[in-house]
Amino acid sequence: MQLSVNGSLVEVASPPDTPLLWVVRDELKLKGSKYGCGMGLCGACTMHMNGTPIRACITPVSAAEGMKITTIEGLGSKDEPHPLQSAWLKHSVPQCGYCQSGQLMSAAALLAQHPQPSDSQIDNAMSGNICRCGTYPNIRKAIHTAATAESSPRPGSDPVNAASTSAVQYWEQS
Amino acid sequence: MIRQSEVAKGLVDTEASTASSMSTGGVNRRSFLKLTAGVSGALCVGISLQGCATSALESSEEHSFRPNASIEVLPDSQVLVTLARVEMGQGTMTGISTLVAEELNIDPAQIRILFAPPADAYVHPEYGLQITGGSNSLSSSWLPMREAAATTRLALTEAAADLWSVEAKSVRCDQGLCYHPEKDTTLTIGQLAGLAANRPLPKDVELKPASEFRLIGQSVQRLDAVAKTFGEARYGIDVELENMVYAYILRAPMIRGRLKEFDASQANDMPGVVKVAAVPSGVAVIAESWWQAKQAAETIKADWEPDPVVGEPDTADIFRLYEERITQSGFDRVREQGDLDDLAAEGSVALEAEYRAPFLAHATLEPQNCVAWLRDGKCDIWAPTQGPDIARFVAQRETGLHRDDVQVHQTYIGGGFGRRLSQDYVADAASVAVHIDRPVKVIWSREDDTRHDIYRPGSLHRLKAYARKDGGIDGWQHKIAAPKVITYYIEDAAGVQLPGWAGGTLTSMVASLGRLITPDISAFEGADDIAYGFGHIQVDHHVADAGIPVTYWRAVGHSFNGFVVESFIDELAEANGQDPLAYRLQLLSASPRHQAVLEKVAAIAGWRWDPEQKRSLAPAARNESGNIVQGLAVHKSFGTYVAQIVELELNNVDEPTDYRISKVFCAVDCGTAVNPDIVRAQMESGIIFGITAAKYGDIEFDKGRVRQSNFHDYQLLRMNESPEIEVAIIDSDEAPTGVGEPGLPPVAAAIGNALFVATGQRLRQLPLRLG
Repeated sequence: MQLSVNGSLVEVASPPDTPLLWVVRDELKLKGSKYGCGMGLCGACTMHMNGTPIRACITPVSAAEGMKITTIEGLGSKDEPHPLQSAWLKHSVPQCGYCQSGQLMSAAALLAQHPQPSDSQIDNAMSGNICRCGTYPNIRKAIHTAATAESSPRPGSDPVNAASTSAVQYWEQS
Repeated sequence: MIRQSEVAKGLVDTEASTASSMSTGGVNRRSFLKLTAGVSGALCVGISLQGCATSALESSEEHSFRPNASIEVLPDSQVLVTLARVEMGQGTMTGISTLVAEELNIDPAQIRILFAPPADAYVHPEYGLQITGGSNSLSSSWLPMREAAATTRLALTEAAADLWSVEAKSVRCDQGLCYHPEKDTTLTIGQLAGLAANRPLPKDVELKPASEFRLIGQSVQRLDAVAKTFGEARYGIDVELENMVYAYILRAPMIRGRLKEFDASQANDMPGVVKVAAVPSGVAVIAESWWQAKQAAETIKADWEPDPVVGEPDTADIFRLYEERITQSGFDRVREQGDLDDLAAEGSVALEAEYRAPFLAHATLEPQNCVAWLRDGKCDIWAPTQGPDIARFVAQRETGLHRDDVQVHQTYIGGGFGRRLSQDYVADAASVAVHIDRPVKVIWSREDDTRHDIYRPGSLHRLKAYARKDGGIDGWQHKIAAPKVITYYIEDAAGVQLPGWAGGTLTSMVASLGRLITPDISAFEGADDIAYGFGHIQVDHHVADAGIPVTYWRAVGHSFNGFVVESFIDELAEANGQDPLAYRLQLLSASPRHQAVLEKVAAIAGWRWDPEQKRSLAPAARNESGNIVQGLAVHKSFGTYVAQIVELELNNVDEPTDYRISKVFCAVDCGTAVNPDIVRAQMESGIIFGITAAKYGDIEFDKGRVRQSNFHDYQLLRMNESPEIEVAIIDSDEAPTGVGEPGLPPVAAAIGNALFVATGQRLRQLPLRLG
């Protein structure tokens, strides 16, 4: 089966009933999308399918065939961050960070539909995403910041200063 | 062969040399430990540290300078900081790096951070274990890390002075460069590293006075924010090894249930399945993908029997046991002030009440998981753990290896809250690894995470206030029935103290000491240390243990005692017909820091007690309906004073069934706020975690089986219910105290106190359900 993920066509071998999340994480090795509940209740696995936010933990990979899938890895880069990512950094939104990919994907879908969302539109769009650390106040602020940046003449997409990327070591097999 | 790379930069492997020399045992490891011994104590300099400077072994590359186990200056002027405490969202990485950057006079962004492997140098100075908990990562690093960094800077400065033949005090070291007014050249700290490494370390280093702080007290951007905003932070669940397999473990339906027999004939034929094996926690299905493993596990037919100690209790059975225990004569008297028995004989009971708090799950958003790879007589563990040394012991126990042959690699943690102080998921991965010669990743399902957590213990409280003959309340009695967390915790933690080769019998002997360790503060902290100025105070802990495994949960004993004490104080204010704020202020006259946070929160919330209506209403500007009432609470935990005012409104004033919390005000005194933005964020975090517990938190047992399973029936607060939160930080020059937990304890009481005002119902049981 062929999938379109973050603008690239990729061949996947997983059985068609495998949830998209596990195909993306373990076959395509894109680890930004997370497993939290397996029932579409927490939103940690949120991706876009043709621009619509979906819960990849309950979406069979067969349903993604022929669709455009976007994951956190495709939302923005450090050279060209999505305005939400710039706002996330400005407000130091993440705490443990585990839910944040899903939060960003839900927020990005919201802004695509409502460039200037009200608080109740934010509630509606974001209440499917659980944050156990309680970063909701910062998420709300960052969404408003990104919305303002998007509507201003100079969008808030300055490259992220590489020096501010404090990298943490991670073990992997060579 | 394992190598270390970096998530965001793909830089050189640095810690790998240390780690591999440690895991091979022998001279390398011993010299490393010698060099690092005592580093987490009060001073980071010492005779053993100088050995480091002349030995190439301990540094990650030639001509680098590693004056202690935590800091290393590389020839390219990068500064490596090895974090002894883990980052699980609380901001420790940023906080500790800020301390180092402050005293080294560098930009925090110049620091590269490593997570520490298990080693004596990184053992927590107060706990004797390499664990992260108790909201004291920053406070316990406050002097040692600054001293380590200041020593490093002085050593570099002295090296420059030597080179230039000038006095060290005339050399300035700033932003990674060393200058002298009479020299044309500047030297980078990287150029000086090799020289500094060959000089004796300076002693008696002076720390910066607070007036010279440039970073401490500023809201430095979180150093983990970039990785976590671009999906690059690697958690335990993201560890990827070549040729790795996945495992799902089918578990008993009841708490600590035991496997009798199983039939996996169907599972064995399922696609992708590599092996099915019985392990201590159930039946492990190993497959090429986790989804295949989980699908196959669902076809297994297994028979289970209850654990003989736990049995199959209902929640009601557990609390019946608590009711029995709380009346029995055996208990730990953990606070005795004045003579309450005398007062009781002469005076009268002014008020009495019974409170209850439930068992709770941690519900970290990253489910429990661990990767283990056992081969060639060695085992590597990758785990999101709050206790890497305990993880090492647990893996050692499950594999039968020597401690030196087990290495633990720390990852980012997708929420801790005490859950990952326990190492059951490490035991799972290590016990599965015994059955397979490939690396294996065990992931728990959310349902297993909820049903087989190690819970916050439930507790039962009986309180009495005694009045003197003249009528004034002067006696406080608080009896607590709850298990001891240490009984369960020591099962694994005790092993860390044993020799590397320790076998099963010795381990279980030491573990059994947990039952003898008494008293255990986890049950009564926040109750024994109340600051209210009653003349006579008695606090007793009646140990009541139903066998349900329990552990530390955010704010631990404070999580329930904050609710109980602050609700009962409100009852006393009501009984006295007093303003709850004025009543507290008067009883706390000997504790100015309690008073200051109370006065501050009252000021920002606009608290105005109406003695006629017996309530404080939210100011009109945010009270369109006129029905938004305020509730108040104050609690000190982990050295930090927090007062909160909750504003809420009933969904239906005549027949209320639910309520909406619209705003929470919070005043916090945590000493020096090293990073005010993180202090504020942690207060918000504790408040939201606390509201979740107050509104929803309840793990119920039904014949030994946990009723809740996933986020539909173990609900966590969501964005639409999350109130606006305003935090005021008290200015202070005191040393910093905790912030990860102290935001939580007052909020449930503040909600309950507001609900009493709104409804006249005094809710004495968590979660707070109107009825």
